[in-house]
Amino acid sequence: MGIVEAAHNITVMGSGEQVIVLAHGFGTDQSVWKHLVPHLVADYRVVMYDNMGAGTTNPEYFDFDRYSTLEGYAYDLLAIIEELQIESCIYVGHSVSAMIGAIASISRPDLFSKIVMISGSPRYLNDVDYYGGFEQEDLDELFNAMRSNYKAWCSGFAPLAVGGDMESVAVQEFSRTLFNMRPDIALSVAQIIFQSDMRHVLRLVTVPCHIIQSMKDLAVPVVISEYLHQHLGGDSIVEVMQSDGHLPQLSSPDNVIPVVLRHIRHNIAQ
Amino acid sequence: MRAGLSTIQQTLTPEAASVLNHSIAEASRRNHGQTTPLHVAATLLSSPSGYLRQACIKSHPNSSHPLQCRALELCFSVALERLPTAQNTSPGLDPPISNALMAALKRAQAHQRRGCPEQQQQPLLAVKVELEQLIISILDDPSVSRVMREASFSSPAVKATIEQSLNSAPSVTNSSPINLGFRPANRSLYMNPRLQQQQQSGCGMQSGQQRSDEVKRVIEILARTKKRNPVLVGESEPEMVVKEILTKIEKNELDGLLKNVEVIHLEKELTCDKSEIVSRLKDLGALIESKIGNNGGVVVDLGDLKWLVEQQLSFGAANSGAVQQQQQVVLEAVAEMGRLLARFGGGGRLWLIGTATCETYLRCQIYHSSMENDWDLQAVPIAAKAPLPGMFPRLGSNGILSSSVESLSPLKGFSTAAPRRISENLDPARRMTCCPQCMQNYEQELAKLAAERSSSEVKSEAARPPLPQWLHNAKAQDGDVKTVDQIPNKDHDLFWKQKSQELQKKWNETCLHLHPNFHQPSIGPERIVPSPISLTGLYNPNLLARQPFQPKLQLNRNLRDALQLNPSLVSSQPSERAASPPDSPVRTELVLGRPKVIESMPEKTHKDHVRDFLGCISSEPQNNVRELQSDKLPKTLDVDSFKRLLKGLMEKVWWQQDAASAVATTITQCKLGNGKRRGAGSKGDIWLLFTGPDIVGKKKMASALSELVSGANPIMISLGSRRDDGESNISFRGKTVLDKIGEAVRRNPSSVILLEDIDEADLLVRGSIKRAMERGRFADSHGREISLGNVIFILTANWLPDSLKFLSSGATTLDEKKLTSLATGGWQLKLTLSGKTANKRRASWLFDVERPTKPRKETGSGLSFDLNKIADVGEDKADGSHNSSDLTVDHEEEHAPNNRLLLSSPSTSPPSQELLNSVDNAIVFKPVDFSPIRRDVTNAITKKFSTIIGDVLSLEIPDEALEKIVGGVWLGRTGLEEWTEKVLVPSLHQLKLGLPTNASVTTDESTVVRLEPDDNTGCRSHGDFLPSSIRVAIDGL
Repeated sequence: MGIVEAAHNITVMGSGEQVIVLAHGFGTDQSVWKHLVPHLVADYRVVMYDNMGAGTTNPEYFDFDRYSTLEGYAYDLLAIIEELQIESCIYVGHSVSAMIGAIASISRPDLFSKIVMISGSPRYLNDVDYYGGFEQEDLDELFNAMRSNYKAWCSGFAPLAVGGDMESVAVQEFSRTLFNMRPDIALSVAQIIFQSDMRHVLRLVTVPCHIIQSMKDLAVPVVISEYLHQHLGGDSIVEVMQSDGHLPQLSSPDNVIPVVLRHIRHNIAQ
Repeated sequence: MRAGLSTIQQTLTPEAASVLNHSIAEASRRNHGQTTPLHVAATLLSSPSGYLRQACIKSHPNSSHPLQCRALELCFSVALERLPTAQNTSPGLDPPISNALMAALKRAQAHQRRGCPEQQQQPLLAVKVELEQLIISILDDPSVSRVMREASFSSPAVKATIEQSLNSAPSVTNSSPINLGFRPANRSLYMNPRLQQQQQSGCGMQSGQQRSDEVKRVIEILARTKKRNPVLVGESEPEMVVKEILTKIEKNELDGLLKNVEVIHLEKELTCDKSEIVSRLKDLGALIESKIGNNGGVVVDLGDLKWLVEQQLSFGAANSGAVQQQQQVVLEAVAEMGRLLARFGGGGRLWLIGTATCETYLRCQIYHSSMENDWDLQAVPIAAKAPLPGMFPRLGSNGILSSSVESLSPLKGFSTAAPRRISENLDPARRMTCCPQCMQNYEQELAKLAAERSSSEVKSEAARPPLPQWLHNAKAQDGDVKTVDQIPNKDHDLFWKQKSQELQKKWNETCLHLHPNFHQPSIGPERIVPSPISLTGLYNPNLLARQPFQPKLQLNRNLRDALQLNPSLVSSQPSERAASPPDSPVRTELVLGRPKVIESMPEKTHKDHVRDFLGCISSEPQNNVRELQSDKLPKTLDVDSFKRLLKGLMEKVWWQQDAASAVATTITQCKLGNGKRRGAGSKGDIWLLFTGPDIVGKKKMASALSELVSGANPIMISLGSRRDDGESNISFRGKTVLDKIGEAVRRNPSSVILLEDIDEADLLVRGSIKRAMERGRFADSHGREISLGNVIFILTANWLPDSLKFLSSGATTLDEKKLTSLATGGWQLKLTLSGKTANKRRASWLFDVERPTKPRKETGSGLSFDLNKIADVGEDKADGSHNSSDLTVDHEEEHAPNNRLLLSSPSTSPPSQELLNSVDNAIVFKPVDFSPIRRDVTNAITKKFSTIIGDVLSLEIPDEALEKIVGGVWLGRTGLEEWTEKVLVPSLHQLKLGLPTNASVTTDESTVVRLEPDDNTGCRSHGDFLPSSIRVAIDGL
């Protein structure tokens, strides 16, 4: 197994001509796709990987410089695609990985036939004429909490992000993967994500994008999906689901998986 | 000639022309007859910040230390000295341009013209040769590149460097944050450099190891009394090293002098405002004083030294007054720092540490000439973690590197410690056969030795092995270059060789004592010392990148033990192949004949996989080696437990001898700790995969194993759709499979757990099982993790390797079915005495089995066929809705995905490659051939009969009875021998007791004893398939 595959815990499953790359977001790992994957393996070759810095990856490889922008992750994605000699793929990115995929697709549009963005956001911080959902103070508070007691922060953040009570399986699952991250890496990653502003690159994205969004999401206000739709350079389509939370594919798979599958299987009508 | 020169000069840009003029002047000064490319090269090099010089520094793959360039200069001056002096030159006349130089100039001109297409039509003279082009064509000159090679530089590499900077068009390389620099680009452009390092250094030379070597070196410098303030010179790595050292210091991990030392980071303070530097330094003085007063020490982290020379960079640009003032400030700061050191440094409690790029350091030397002494600095070159030149001597077509590497290879032994180690490994006599642990220790000691050696040899000034050999001497002999003498160095080398050999021997022996297991041939091939990996790296670096290491490593490992060949993979391969049966038919036979059949299967497929990727490497010898290994296995195992196990298994599942021995071998091997090592650390859990259609055999094998290992029945959990509810534990009801497994493990951490029909398991289950294999912990559906303890997991699957397919046929499955139905009905046996029946009709289905060796016409029939049919139906249904593009229809389809998944997995699909690779062993249960079983049963019964009754009477067993017995033996838990002893023998005795009275009558040949089914059923013992007693029904009894 090549070093890239090993380092990112790449999993390839299923059979089919078309390749689907599933990329998880902050605080999770590829297990976040567990409800989706069984529905894909019959028809697609499914590639899953862990982003560098996830709890399941070797922290030694986490280069704080490389991952000081989302581009570092985008390069990782491209490296994986090259390593597996994938010529073209459907990319499904959750949360920050939606943007990572978009960035990667700007550099190599040939590798992406379409991008499915689940709960993605180009900018989390409010701005003039832009509602991202967070004020700088909110974020500072968040970072401080992470810094002071990571574990406590995890157990507080997980229910908020998932949108359920502490007892629910999804929340426990998310807090597990969240807490698996090394605290300093988690802080760095969170800072990079929450402070990122990818609005200027959206118009450079030419690959068709399917934007899927929860009705109620602590991290991404519902208007973001419309913003993405308006500003993406290529075709895009928005579907807002009646689901709750930032990790809908984990918390309410019954409603969400069919939607995701539909967007994977069908293209935007011309 | 003079005229020629002026014409030439017109074709050069002023810059290039002045270089040429200087070269001519140099030639004339040295009284040479001609001006050669060497003169030009020397001129180009002589300017300290010159273009060529920088390119040389950049291009050097190993380091960028100023001394390296100094070596280059010295080489050129030696070369110039050797040039013949002019015999009859008239003074005042410049030496003419040599033919070689003329050719170089013409080349430059041609290149220049090609370089700017829009000027192509312009007259010749309009194109001026720029300096860069001149340099490039000079580098092409053979004499120049020879001299450069002597100084361990590569002119093609330098040339490539310059060309790259010329083509400064925004290539991907430049725009990406990953600075590929001059490292080989054989990896993906996008790849995380850390992975790249990891990869390129192979596993033999971990980058961590390299860094820790550097850290060690720096700490040694800190511990010295003179020149003890290290400045780490290199391109990007130094910061990392400094950071590591400082963390160590801050965490108080270091003993001796560096204990209780505090770190002050100066860099942050200095970058803010230059004008305040001096006063800040004075403050710093007070701070240091207080700290040292408290019996502590202080390390001042200077950070990047570039602030010392930054001003000079902008020299001339800004108004000169301000610049001068700033320079003044910096000079003062340097002086102030010097004073601080003079004040506190004497006590040995104040250190400086800093980093610099090579350029910066050179500038520092120029602009602050006394700084090196005043600050008591020691430059420590930090090699970029590019591949070591010795490691990839044949990297292939990669322009930059291959050329630079080739020219460097003669010197590789001196370049760094690492290639030296590798070249030692190439020498068979010095090969290490240690386990990784001891290897590491050995390497550490070796590194220490190397450090001692280099420091004693080169003195403090040039404590760095990467210098060319001759330069060591040059330094030692006060720079008298011409009297380079090899002898002392040879002595050194000899001494070094002896030392390292001693060290190696020592560790080999230690290892032999400490880790005897490692030296046994039966060792799991995964415990590979790092060095073979570097050897494979030597073989083909792409190999490392493209494929899992395993098969190559096995080969290597086994070669060492079994064949004692030299470790070079390349050279050993042909000889190995010659010894092995090369053709696939032969292999097939091997596969059939060996007890450990399946073992070669994954590897075989794997091999195909490898071949796909590489197309050139054959891992043919592997099978062979594996065979060798398996032959040796039992000898080295714990013989007693192996025998016990094998005997126990054979008793219960006697018809699967091969499988039984494979199971016994694997179990013993794993218990001895030689099993496959998945993930980190040792493990107690064992994973076996039983494949093949013999369901009964698999189950019985599991039961027998469980009985032998844990003294209990195995826990059976069915992963597939087939549910034998009678068998499963009641407490499992209503739970998911994952939870069942979790529960079972939790309750019985040392049991045998049988997971049936892994090939029918859904993806999630398979995934969790795979993860469990890798990590030694099992996560249930709630994500709770359970340690696997010492559980033996047995996975079963129906899949049969293709090579054995012909054994399996529809008839066999039918046999099984029929036997089952025959044996399960409550039935009894009786012994009767009667006349011989002539021409007994034989049961047709058993008759069939009499010819088992003939391959049957294969048609999918029986069980598997049925399943496939179901699967097809399922697919059809799914396809129907899938084809529809109507969204609403599509939506409906989503409601039944699980169903579809279940159905579409065919029951005979081969287990995934991953599965085969991860289990400790996959054991094939061949389809049952009933004729030997039947024969065995008959023989056993007849034998008993004749020993007890004698030859007087013959025994006839009607086929119906035989079928029932065979079925009972096969399905039931009672072994054949057990049954004959307990049931048959008493009945026979009873029969014998009844016989004597009739003896005279029954000697008639027409009378036989028949063992036949008894329709007068008594009650059968429950839970078993064989009758617990045989009624003796003799007339008159």
